[in-house]
Amino acid sequence: MSSHSGENETVDLADGVNHQVAMVMDLNKCIGCQTCTIACKTNWTDSGGREYMYWNNVETKPGAGYPRDWEEKGGGWDEDGEERQPGELPSEEDYGQPWDFNHEEIMYEGSDEPLRPMDDAADWGPNWDEDEGAGEYPNSYYFYLPRICNHCTHPSCVEACPRSALYKREEDGIVLVDQDRCRGYRYCVEGCPYKKVYYNAMKKKSEKCIFCYPRIEGEGPEGEVRGPACAEDCPPQLRMVGYLDDADGPIHKLVNEYEVAVRLHPEYRTEPNVYYIPPFAPPKHTQAGETAEEERIPREYLEELFGPNVHDALDTIERERERVRRGGDSELMELLNSDRSEKYRLEVFNDA
Amino acid sequence: MTRNQLSLVITLAVVVAGAAVLLPAVTDAQTQSGVPVEYVEDSSGFETPTGSGWTAAQTATFPLSGTGADVPMANDVSIEEVQVEAVRTNERIYLRTSWADPTRDASDGSVRSFADQVAVQLPAAGENQPPIAMGSNETPVNIWSWSSSDGTEEIMAAGPGSSTPFAEQTLRTKHTYADGRWHVVFIRPLDPSGSIASSLNTETPPRTTIPTDTANLDVAFGVWNGSNMEVSGRKSASQWHRLAVGSGPPGYERFLWVIAGVAIVLTTLVTIEGIRRKGGE
Repeated sequence: MSSHSGENETVDLADGVNHQVAMVMDLNKCIGCQTCTIACKTNWTDSGGREYMYWNNVETKPGAGYPRDWEEKGGGWDEDGEERQPGELPSEEDYGQPWDFNHEEIMYEGSDEPLRPMDDAADWGPNWDEDEGAGEYPNSYYFYLPRICNHCTHPSCVEACPRSALYKREEDGIVLVDQDRCRGYRYCVEGCPYKKVYYNAMKKKSEKCIFCYPRIEGEGPEGEVRGPACAEDCPPQLRMVGYLDDADGPIHKLVNEYEVAVRLHPEYRTEPNVYYIPPFAPPKHTQAGETAEEERIPREYLEELFGPNVHDALDTIERERERVRRGGDSELMELLNSDRSEKYRLEVFNDA
Repeated sequence: MTRNQLSLVITLAVVVAGAAVLLPAVTDAQTQSGVPVEYVEDSSGFETPTGSGWTAAQTATFPLSGTGADVPMANDVSIEEVQVEAVRTNERIYLRTSWADPTRDASDGSVRSFADQVAVQLPAAGENQPPIAMGSNETPVNIWSWSSSDGTEEIMAAGPGSSTPFAEQTLRTKHTYADGRWHVVFIRPLDPSGSIASSLNTETPPRTTIPTDTANLDVAFGVWNGSNMEVSGRKSASQWHRLAVGSGPPGYERFLWVIAGVAIVLTTLVTIEGIRRKGGE
């Protein structure tokens, strides 16, 4: 691992990687509209054996997610981050299969039945448990969790491949599957604890999020440098895109200086480069509708998802919020509320 | 000579003839851990797994076990042995593999389905026993592969994780699945260089030439059971064995020798009997 010194922080990059792309997603802004999901799908996964894939998905937490129960399927590294932990391959049903509908009866057999899935066809699918969440009325809670490949610094998918078909790009640390080397063994699919590598059964190769690298290289619309489609198309603009080692960028500040952007399941030890501003929710209500002191989303649950650093992150944000409420200035709050033009810093290293 | 004596002589002759045909095969199988490759003039009985020729071919049975490769559950494998027969003509080798597998699997389009598969490994340039796991840089191997999903592939490898299909294939396969058993026949020119376009440059990795003299060639086998999620290094593999090409005279020659032997025995007996009778007069 090499170190790049920022102003007062040191950023660890993977060996052989010059810079590391990163994304910060502010979960407080996600409205679960799935525009990112569709932006990704129309760009990359609308056909050719990729129909079932969502390189970008948005799931409701608490919830089983996509693929179903991915957090229980293993993968990643052991506690020391040294030995790879094999996982299991999700089933087709875990990803969600297309449902069969009664088109035949209605279109050709004159049935008066409403159009609906056949028999028990509709018993699971991506987003099946959307908005269910957890907790009891009036203190139920949920939030949306958008997920892409984390382009990890210590990727277990790369380690899992016996053919070294997966690699981190030297220039920006994007994790890619070399389609010429891949022979469809699927060790990367089970090896990724986030289940963000997918098997294309038509091509007999594994495929995954490419961080829209043609767009960040300026090969996208109008030949301009653009952020990944999931970020650019997001209506509430909840994603920041840049380089973790860009000491003047907002990502470096949020991750390394204020430490308010945290990793999803850091215990998997893959060192993700997608970070999350953890969600706040209104406090709990009493049965009488009074505001109670207790937090609505249990801290233990957030710690389960984002590790112990989530406490400091939430406390820091709360403190800075309070400062602004009292009329003070807060660079952190400005960063979190910055406009679109500051969210994408992708050309800072172009001269290097 | 009484009738009894005559029938004894004939019985003896038949026993001698039978032993001459059968015994070499029995002793070969006991002393040689290898695949005898008989010469045949006519390949028509060997083109398919159920071809009539295979019944007369000598079967070699090899135990298989996990490889301990550096992949999860590498030794959790299910196929215990593979049977192999082989013959050659002047142009081609015909090698039939068969193994018991109660489930006929194909990688049918879902993430968790894997194909049944068999592979034959040979040293690329005839070297003696390259590293059993896909050879090495110095001693690359050729792999003839058949999979229930992907069909036939002729592959070059120089160590684990390096397998690369040849751009031009000279290998053909035919397969059947019946009564819980796969049969796969591999058919390839003995010397593949003649059948590859001459435009290929000298950097092309070597393709194994099957020797037609008495020189032996190493051979190893691998079998994958798809329903046990076996893939890549998670496979049942054999050790190196010998592909005994040109071992023993071709079958029809042996038959002629047997006829000659029987004739000699009979002539001798008749002569002895003649002398005995003459002496007794």
